[in-house]
Amino acid sequence: MDNAPLRCVGLTKSFGGHRVIDDLTVSFEPGKVTAIVGPNGAGKSTLFHLMTGFLRPDKGDIWKGRRRINGLRPFIVARMGIGRLFQDVRIFERLTLLENVLVGFPNQSGENPVWPFLLPHVVRRQEAAHLAAAERWLDLVGLGGRSSGSAEELSFGQRKLLAIARLLALGSEALLLDEPTSGVGRGMIDSLVALMKKLAREGRTVAVIEHNMSVVADCSDVMYFMDAGRVAAFGVPSEVLGNRSIRATYLGL
Amino acid sequence: MTYVWHLGVMVSLYIAVALSLNLVIGESGLLSVCQAAFYGIGAYASTLLVMKAHWSFGASIIGTLVFASLSAICIGLPSLRLRGDYFVLATLGFQIILYSVLYNWADLTNGPNGIPGIPPPRVFGIELASPYRYCTASFAMAAVIGGFTLVIVRSPFGRLMQAVRDNEVAAASLGKNWLLVRLTAFAIGAGLTAVAGAFYAGYARYIDPTSFTVMESIFMVSIVVVGGAGNFRGPAVGAVVLVLLPEGLRFLQIPEAIAANLRQVVYGMALVLFMLFRPKGIAGKYGFD
Amino acid sequence: MLVQLIANGLANACLTALMATGFALIYNTTRIFHLAHGSVYVVAAYAYYAAAQYLHWPQFVAVTFAVAVGTFVGCAIELLAYSPLYRKQASTTIYLLTSFGLYIALINTVALLFGNEVRVFPTTQQSAVSLGPVLLTGIQLLEVATSIVVLAPLMILLRKSNWGRLIRAVRDNPTLASTTGVNLASVRRFVFAAGSALAGVAAVLAVLDVGADPQSGLPVLLIAIVAVIVGGIGSFGGPILGSMIVALLQSIAIWQISPKWSQAITFGILILFMIFRPTGLLGIRRRIEEVIE
Repeated sequence: MDNAPLRCVGLTKSFGGHRVIDDLTVSFEPGKVTAIVGPNGAGKSTLFHLMTGFLRPDKGDIWKGRRRINGLRPFIVARMGIGRLFQDVRIFERLTLLENVLVGFPNQSGENPVWPFLLPHVVRRQEAAHLAAAERWLDLVGLGGRSSGSAEELSFGQRKLLAIARLLALGSEALLLDEPTSGVGRGMIDSLVALMKKLAREGRTVAVIEHNMSVVADCSDVMYFMDAGRVAAFGVPSEVLGNRSIRATYLGL
Repeated sequence: MTYVWHLGVMVSLYIAVALSLNLVIGESGLLSVCQAAFYGIGAYASTLLVMKAHWSFGASIIGTLVFASLSAICIGLPSLRLRGDYFVLATLGFQIILYSVLYNWADLTNGPNGIPGIPPPRVFGIELASPYRYCTASFAMAAVIGGFTLVIVRSPFGRLMQAVRDNEVAAASLGKNWLLVRLTAFAIGAGLTAVAGAFYAGYARYIDPTSFTVMESIFMVSIVVVGGAGNFRGPAVGAVVLVLLPEGLRFLQIPEAIAANLRQVVYGMALVLFMLFRPKGIAGKYGFD
Repeated sequence: MLVQLIANGLANACLTALMATGFALIYNTTRIFHLAHGSVYVVAAYAYYAAAQYLHWPQFVAVTFAVAVGTFVGCAIELLAYSPLYRKQASTTIYLLTSFGLYIALINTVALLFGNEVRVFPTTQQSAVSLGPVLLTGIQLLEVATSIVVLAPLMILLRKSNWGRLIRAVRDNPTLASTTGVNLASVRRFVFAAGSALAGVAAVLAVLDVGADPQSGLPVLLIAIVAVIVGGIGSFGGPILGSMIVALLQSIAIWQISPKWSQAITFGILILFMIFRPTGLLGIRRRIEEVIE
């Protein structure tokens, strides 16, 4: 796929006088899983907010390939091929599991209210194809078999999996995953790690914020260690996790 | 018997309004209190097109639909970006502004004197002169509007409306232009209600601004809320109950003077009690949470 | 002519300021869009009218009675309707619908008891005072004087007293306030009581000026809300500034365009402010939760 790297250059963002992101420069390459770790409040989720257009940086730029994307509205950033998993999940509570995933598919003709009236067969055909694909995604994340249940009833971990299935339906080139494995059961975590590696092998850009160090060691190709809005360390996991001062401050070892 | 046909017309009109308002309040989660304004736009636009521009009733329906939807887009563009309370306030503001226009722009609307002598509509060559004919026609109109809303709600667009309602941030992160979705729902809701308004004008044969006030908007909202929002049954049940119940009061021989106020007290209390104890209404699916 | 209009506007502005300050007190602290505040106003108005006209109570007693009734109704609404909703963590839509329902039920109950027509006191001698080019009636002077006497100490109290500090703490961050031991429920009850009392005062003045009308609640409240938004959400002094500005703009609109469009213009201003400057002229305080989205 024609995937361009994501680059953040010199990003700065403050809230009420407090600098949450401080002259941050990071990049995410296609075909790799890039992990972002760091203590709470280090600004990791804020970085994702900035990259997806939910926040505007005070200074600095964000690039997808040659296009500058800071300042674009979130739905436009998403349409440019950047998908996002939220830390607080954000599923559509009152829709069924199947409907949640169905919303994810891009370019649905039926989402324009004119076509269900003028070209119902076209819309129906597309829906049928999406339905089959959605069931497959739900099976992949282990939620198959309850697709017509209401999303309200899911546990936190299950909601996370649903959001991942929805993101897979979106099929974006770049995926920003904020804590994909938190709340998820042991067995599923291994599947998610395998999934992330597979997505990267397909040529996608995968960025992962994680607190689970074994997941990070397992699936990431490179990692950033962030603290107080800056990059404290960068490199392959064995280097970064082996770094004595990092181990002391963060891992308490 | 004429009385039965009359009730049939009123129920049909309000079912149409309720189902179209449900697209906004129930499926999109937007508390709009300017629906009576669109009803009024429908009544006045079709009346003026028929009486001043000599269009046929059918053509005036299309003209009304287009005009009301465009008005809704003008109102919605600035307002739909606003947070909860502010959006409601904006729709309230537009309702009041529209009433002011109907009342004060006498050259166009005849102001407080209203427009009398509206001719009965001619549909498919048949003149809707008798209450029975009008009841049948209104019922057909309500069925068409109902069918329309059903197709919309069951389509991917309907699913998208609900998704934006449940979590617009998540919808945006999936590449959905949630503002456009809301605007479209708002415009469709307005257009369909305006069609019902056109049918009202042809039935009442006389329209004036007092039928299209803030209180009327709140009444329309109550129908959707008390009956239930977010599905087909709820709004329909609401229309039937809130239109027929007051008529039932008539049999209790309550003097007309206090009947109007008493009705309002009952509506008000119904709204409060349902919100406190049963936000999904009598038969609805969405509880405004 | 314009100066006279402005002077008339000033008197109206004072009534608006009382309603607006009461509404803002409640909204800033609880984030409840208390539309039923308009019905508190109407109930207090009729309480005063009934006390003065039917029961022939002396002025002072009647006024106190009206303000007390207003306060009582406001507190009852908070206790019986809003508190249960708060416990259920209801959405803003539910609060709004409840508020609308209460408004309709209350004003129509008043209309059932007193009739739908406007009730005016039999005309007593209206003293008029001329201040330069401007003629003001006794009532208008009373309106200005009363609002100063009521609002000035209130503003000082909000800034200096303990209660004021508590209220401002809850306004800024209720969760933080409650963890530091502030009893949120008492603060809520207090602002509803104070806000409703202000509505009661405004109601009495309005009855003396133009009479009592069951339908007057919403129009009066909406102008007050415009004043709050123009003056600044979150600020307690903002509504007063907003009231002056709204009254001034209305006077200019009446002078230049026509009285019949004044309501439409007022709401046009409201909508413009909501789009372009939603925090108003003086308001900037927003809770942390509201910033992230």
